[in-house]
Amino acid sequence: MRDKNTGFLIALMLPAFLLLGLVIFFPIIKGSIIAFQNYNLNNDLSMVHFNGLENFKAIVTDTNFKFWQIIVNTLIWIYVSLFFQFVLGLILALLLRQPFRGRGIYSGLVFYPWALSGFAIGLIWAWMFNGQFGIVNDLLMKLHLIHQNIGFLSDPKYAMMSVIIANIWYGVPFFAIMLLAGLQSIPKELFEVAEIDGANSVKKLFFVTLPYIKATIVSTILLRTIWIMNFPEIIYAMTGGGPGNATNILATQMINKLMKFYDYGQGSAVGVMIMVILFFFATVYLKVSEAKEEGIA
Amino acid sequence: MNKITHNSLTLKPECDGRTVFFSKKAAFTVMRIFLLALFLAAALLPLYWIIVTSLKGGREIYTYPIRYWPKSLTFENYAYLFKISNFKVYFRNSVLVSLLASLGALLISMLSGYALSRFRAKRTRISFLLAMYFTQIIPTYMIMTPLYTFLAKLGLSDNLLTLMVIYTGMMVAFSTIMGSSFFALVPVSVEEAALIDGCNRIQALFQIVVPLVLPGLAAIFSFSFVNTWNELFLAVMLMNSDQNMTVPVALNSFISKAGVSWGVLSAGIVVSLLPTLIVFAVAQKYIVIGLTEGAVKG
Repeated sequence: MRDKNTGFLIALMLPAFLLLGLVIFFPIIKGSIIAFQNYNLNNDLSMVHFNGLENFKAIVTDTNFKFWQIIVNTLIWIYVSLFFQFVLGLILALLLRQPFRGRGIYSGLVFYPWALSGFAIGLIWAWMFNGQFGIVNDLLMKLHLIHQNIGFLSDPKYAMMSVIIANIWYGVPFFAIMLLAGLQSIPKELFEVAEIDGANSVKKLFFVTLPYIKATIVSTILLRTIWIMNFPEIIYAMTGGGPGNATNILATQMINKLMKFYDYGQGSAVGVMIMVILFFFATVYLKVSEAKEEGIA
Repeated sequence: MNKITHNSLTLKPECDGRTVFFSKKAAFTVMRIFLLALFLAAALLPLYWIIVTSLKGGREIYTYPIRYWPKSLTFENYAYLFKISNFKVYFRNSVLVSLLASLGALLISMLSGYALSRFRAKRTRISFLLAMYFTQIIPTYMIMTPLYTFLAKLGLSDNLLTLMVIYTGMMVAFSTIMGSSFFALVPVSVEEAALIDGCNRIQALFQIVVPLVLPGLAAIFSFSFVNTWNELFLAVMLMNSDQNMTVPVALNSFISKAGVSWGVLSAGIVVSLLPTLIVFAVAQKYIVIGLTEGAVKG
């Protein structure tokens, strides 16, 4: 009886796994093989052969796109974005916790960036940061914060900051949605007890609210780390990784290798690096969610 | 002098206390409204700006000082967008591919999500779930070149049906994970009752269980639609011919095309945002439920 049940359930899963095998698993294996081949569309494809770790070596020793800078950029891109997405998302979630008239419409109007494509957001912000006719330059001039226009996307000093601002804008709604759900799961009694004990709002935030949603915070941050690392669209639309190498992260380096240089071998090598790093994060994530299930975290 | 002030303050302690309490509460409210307004302004400004740009005439976009409200509203950018390109065709392609892929993923994940929620052995369930999660952490662009080279050899690249199947596959894992968490909320006893009444298991699933999780299915569908509508790189790589382009591919080609101004590009961006904004407006409640039910991709 039990075996019959399991067999039936596995049969129901077959269509999903067939499709996943075809569209995800098979290409992943093939892509990982390409990472060890001199697969380049500029060369004669009949000469494709295994070249050991040549692609990885080429990426790490690249003089035009310095690898250490790409790694530093990737870390800045992930953690500066995450930090502000989290802090602003938390503030927004706290503001939205108490009901007020029009809260549904209000949250729709502040959450909508979630539904936009990273590419479109990149284009919109590229226009906002435009060095000549950009609204950001104009507003900063009006506030007397700057005295002449800044080439936000063409100046290496400002380019990373600009793409990160666009990314923060995009990510705040997601954090707010997740944290709001966490906040709403806190039993009211906890706050009542804290009030009787004489806690003020700040104390309630740090000793009741944040500890209670700690698990939500940790898992959201880990998931977003993976997601932001995999997210080249905004940078692709705004700077393409430039000027020079200034906003190049691992993901944009891979996109450029594939779509600009047609070097599938080197592009896939970057992809393999990304996957290795992500597996590390995924393992940490699983450990944390196990702990969450057991009520430790 | 000091003493008198002190005395006058302590004369009416309850009055003083109330004032302080009131002003503190008022300060909080003012601060809260101010912050809410700030978030709203920050969220809406980019959208406002791209819409205004798309409604400005050719010369007005590049005037200095910048005009926050155009002198004359015009739809010439939209007209030009549809004249210089097959934007109607791209839009139709995107609608077709996103709708069918989302429906396909939904249908497949009704089976797999349900099955995943019903395995009695925890081990089996966890290992299937891990396989699904695995597909969620790998970068999309890792599958891009292998798919392209493989499909090009078969003459199947640059084909809307192929793109639809791939998108379905890309959405299946997420939909299954999300689906299983909704199906898990339906007690097994509900189906057992249906089985006793003479339904077979498939009938029990579609006639009894599925209607109970409709909000969850709405979330899955909206989520897949938004994600497939927004997908860029895979479509750029696969769809080479003009009549097969999706909206993001077309926007991408505009950037490099000479003679496409920010006005026309803005119009294209605004049109590209409309469908997902509508889906979000209609299904926001369900999307929020879906995101918070153990979702991986945001």
